[in-house]
Amino acid sequence: MEAELHRLQTEARAALTASVNALGLEAFRVKYLGRKGLFTTVMRALGDVPVAERPRLGKLANDVRQELEEAFAAREAELAGSQMAVGAPRSDLTLPGRLAPFGKSHPVTQVMEEVCAIFEGLGFAVAEGPDVELDYYNFEALNIPPHHPARDMHDTFYVSDSVLLRTHTSPMQVRAMQKAAPPLRMIAPGKVYRCDSDITHTPMFHQVEGFLVDRKVSFGDLKGVLSVFIAKMFDKKTPIRFRPSFFPFTEPSAEVDIGCVICKGEGCRVCKKTGWLEILGAGLIDPAVFKMVGYDPDAYTGFAFGLGMERIAMLKYGITDIRMFYENDLRFLSQF
Amino acid sequence: MKFTLNWLKQYLDLDLTATELADRLTMAGLEVEAVEPLFVGLDLVKVGRVTAVAPHPNADKLVLCTVEVGAETRRVVCGAPNARPGLVTAIALPGAVLPSGMTIRISKIRGEISEGMLCSEKELGISEAHQGGIMELSADLASGRDLVEALELADTMIEVDLTPNRADCASVIGLAREAGSFVGRHLTAPIAGELPALTSANLPFVVQVQAAADCPRYVARLLKGVTIGPSPWWLRRRLLAVGQRPINNVVDITNFVMLEYGQPLHAFDFACLAGGRVEVRRAMAGEQLQTLDGVTRDLNPEMLLICDAEKPVAVAGVMGGANSEVHPATTEVLLESACFNPMSVRRTSRVLGLGTEASYRFERGVDPQLAPQAMERAVRLLCEITGATAVPGGVDYREGVKPRPTITMRVTRTNDLLGLNLDADTIVRHLASIEIPAVKQADETIAVAPPSFRIDLEREIDLVEEVARLVGYNDIPTSLPMVPMCFPEQDAARLMRKRLAGIMIALGFYEAINYSFVGARHCDMLGLAAGHAARCCVPLLNPLGEDQGVMRTMLLPGLLENVRRNINFQTTDVRLFEIGKVFHPVGDAQPHEKMHLTAVLTGRRKPRSPVVHFGGALVDIFDAKGVVDAILDGCRLPQLAFVPASDGEIAAPDQFIRLMVDGQEAGQFGQLSLKVAKEFGIKQPLFYLDIDLEVLSGLPPAVIQCLPLARFPAVRWDLAVVVAEEVRAGDLVAAIYAAAEPLVEKVELFDIYRGKPMEKGRKSVALSLTYRANERTLDDATVGAVHTRLTDMILTRFKARLREV
Repeated sequence: MEAELHRLQTEARAALTASVNALGLEAFRVKYLGRKGLFTTVMRALGDVPVAERPRLGKLANDVRQELEEAFAAREAELAGSQMAVGAPRSDLTLPGRLAPFGKSHPVTQVMEEVCAIFEGLGFAVAEGPDVELDYYNFEALNIPPHHPARDMHDTFYVSDSVLLRTHTSPMQVRAMQKAAPPLRMIAPGKVYRCDSDITHTPMFHQVEGFLVDRKVSFGDLKGVLSVFIAKMFDKKTPIRFRPSFFPFTEPSAEVDIGCVICKGEGCRVCKKTGWLEILGAGLIDPAVFKMVGYDPDAYTGFAFGLGMERIAMLKYGITDIRMFYENDLRFLSQF
Repeated sequence: MKFTLNWLKQYLDLDLTATELADRLTMAGLEVEAVEPLFVGLDLVKVGRVTAVAPHPNADKLVLCTVEVGAETRRVVCGAPNARPGLVTAIALPGAVLPSGMTIRISKIRGEISEGMLCSEKELGISEAHQGGIMELSADLASGRDLVEALELADTMIEVDLTPNRADCASVIGLAREAGSFVGRHLTAPIAGELPALTSANLPFVVQVQAAADCPRYVARLLKGVTIGPSPWWLRRRLLAVGQRPINNVVDITNFVMLEYGQPLHAFDFACLAGGRVEVRRAMAGEQLQTLDGVTRDLNPEMLLICDAEKPVAVAGVMGGANSEVHPATTEVLLESACFNPMSVRRTSRVLGLGTEASYRFERGVDPQLAPQAMERAVRLLCEITGATAVPGGVDYREGVKPRPTITMRVTRTNDLLGLNLDADTIVRHLASIEIPAVKQADETIAVAPPSFRIDLEREIDLVEEVARLVGYNDIPTSLPMVPMCFPEQDAARLMRKRLAGIMIALGFYEAINYSFVGARHCDMLGLAAGHAARCCVPLLNPLGEDQGVMRTMLLPGLLENVRRNINFQTTDVRLFEIGKVFHPVGDAQPHEKMHLTAVLTGRRKPRSPVVHFGGALVDIFDAKGVVDAILDGCRLPQLAFVPASDGEIAAPDQFIRLMVDGQEAGQFGQLSLKVAKEFGIKQPLFYLDIDLEVLSGLPPAVIQCLPLARFPAVRWDLAVVVAEEVRAGDLVAAIYAAAEPLVEKVELFDIYRGKPMEKGRKSVALSLTYRANERTLDDATVGAVHTRLTDMILTRFKARLREV
């Protein structure tokens, strides 16, 4: 019996070390220390040994069992991770954590979702359209006929004479208005393309176009909606100014500037020492566009606006080279 | 459009600084790009008179000049060929820093002391002219004066980025008119108002215009006795200040008047015009013309030309021909001041790839009433500067000039559009401030006769914009639209993409965005077969480069390029996904665009955790499979089947699985074949997955039906069998489920073992079966009966034997 006890002790020690989780420990407990376990079986054999031997073997059996129970408790505590058995080595809490998997959205997506969420909160629907667009929707229906100098404002990639990569998401204005009668409130996020590539231009970038059409929509309303947007997107105290500009599909047209977020209006390199940053183009929808889609320009008015996502992301996050957005370097992507 | 503050002040009494003017222009919609003080850094440059010139003892090409600078006398070593006694020139004194960065010091040049430097225009940054040597100033300039003051150089250049609608502001006078509204004054133009009509009787030339639509107006006059030479300083200074290179007096005058009025002019050498004839006509097929820039241009019948009796002499509105160019011996000049059709000029300029100051203006539209005024201005300058006399009379063809209708502006409409409450008088006053004549009518409307210089004003809305501009956008009160409440429909595909992105991010993937256009060679790098669908791309007609030549048909190549970049920069654990469009051609129509989700994973399985916890185990196909499982679970799409296949074109053999639904491929995943990986410069195992979201979003997600939670305990029985290597573990699991035993809740694979004591070619597969009944606790006998049935089924079906413990 003594040999049996020693064999059991060795085997149990090894089994305990091999138990690496709670399930394994439980199996160990049942197998060795349980009511029907191997130890109980061995102890039952104590009745068969000579009386003189019983105290010694009884003590040995008890010692072995006690040792195993303590080792079991220690192992259990160790595996539980925190509560250390007395005398066991302490956890080294300077070891790094086991990080759960966790990725991130692209910064452009983050900004785009933020912009969309603000306008969705104002009741704007979100619509998307084709990247490869017809000249008609990208230009003609937006009051930019062929050979109009305004086409110079768009360096266009062409697929054929009549098919091109959209240079803005404004074609969605026309597509949406052709489909539905006013009132309409909609934003169109998406990729747009222009043949231009340098430190501030990539041939593909992202834009959100928005528009609202109803009776009696005024320029003041346009200013109001964009002011709400800028207050949410940047800071409540961000100064805004509207400047006259020109887009063939809006009139009056405006550029919207915000006080430079870098220098707070003091004048810096980013704002070219003006204290202002141009972030939006906007205006009242030109009556010619309404005529194109069959709306009565005397009955309905509306406004439209468009803004570039990369520019906003660059301003918000201090990104100096727009090309970084499309290199997909994890050292860049993990920062946002 | 560049101009200078002093130039503008020539026409308008303006008491604003350059910065103030720039701000006001920007806020009036004429965005100022740059404000640059001109000729700075010339503080220590003075007018000097050379009183004596002596040879340099140690250098043949240098001379020693004695220069009088006011009361002082300076000794200067000079190498200019035109240094001579009596010359009045510019001298930079010690301490001066020239625009090139050169600092002037008292120094020894070849052993002789030099106390300054005599300068050329180029050295002072005034012009590019260098050839003649040092500056030759007017002899009556007193020596010792500051050069900047003596030459009236102090000025500020302002550059305006013009929007296409403001053609009128492509001229200093146009900008002055606009600036007039800032200070409540009107401008004074050198030539204004109605000019006496030109008579064409007895002229030594004729003008014939073929189509009035192409050329609404053509004014021509002849000047005789022209002496070609350099322009006077005031004229050169104006041109230099806005970055134009002075050429000769005739050309400089035409350029000056163009900048002043916005009317492009062209001077022909009359002696070169055959037959004394000017014909404005379209080009004939096969005609050619060498333009002033020396390039011989092929002309097409769309292009409008100026021709003499025999040949083309200019591309109308774009550039003159070399054959009739004004040259040093020219004595008779035929001057053209015309108005051409904007579209025609634009088309021609595009086709020729030739944009000029003239075509820039004609494309945007030139006021047809400008032609005679600019002509008169130029003729006067030519007479004054070149000594010419104008032949009386001239041609003024004006059949294409249309009267412009009066525009009716509604006061209420204007206020409604702007959110203002202006009365008619205020509106009239605003318009008058920029010389737009408006008259209040009895019926709350305003009659506006658009002035000829504002060719952009055609409709009521154009005037509404003017009013908004003049009121000031920032003074229009802010309001919020009163619109009915509604719930906008949400795009299901967009919602699915957001959900998918959320799942991918939760699984440790970073979102990538790549360009929609790629290089066609990506298909070769992937080793796709000749007829592969992905090879059928939409090409761009004008790509920026070959590697952006076609619209992508797959997202994977872009991600592989990203992986290579990351690995090159020593980030070797990469998990990226992209949700984006691929494009497939549909004849000549718009291509078919559909969304894909593609992801790549490579490197360590636990990329964000240190090796101390997890070792450095690398990802394998089962990590990719787990990602796909999570996607399908997250989208509640259990109906997709994983079908291992061996015909993946880019996947490694035996490491490729298709996702199938209803006989349709919804996606695929696998390990990138080593060959393809090598093409992309990736040396570590890489796994990819690609899902067609068009297919995925067409599938109905499983309905969520919450099941009650079991109240009775489950029991687990294990089953370990030895089977042939070819038997697939998944088939064992599937077979048990297929037996549809009601008590079987779950079957899990927990071990696969190969090696002793089993013979080669066999493996042990251990399964754990969970049994449960919903209404009672199971006893061993009940479970045992089911377990035995299932065991027997497995043993028979898979030719297995039980593994001995």
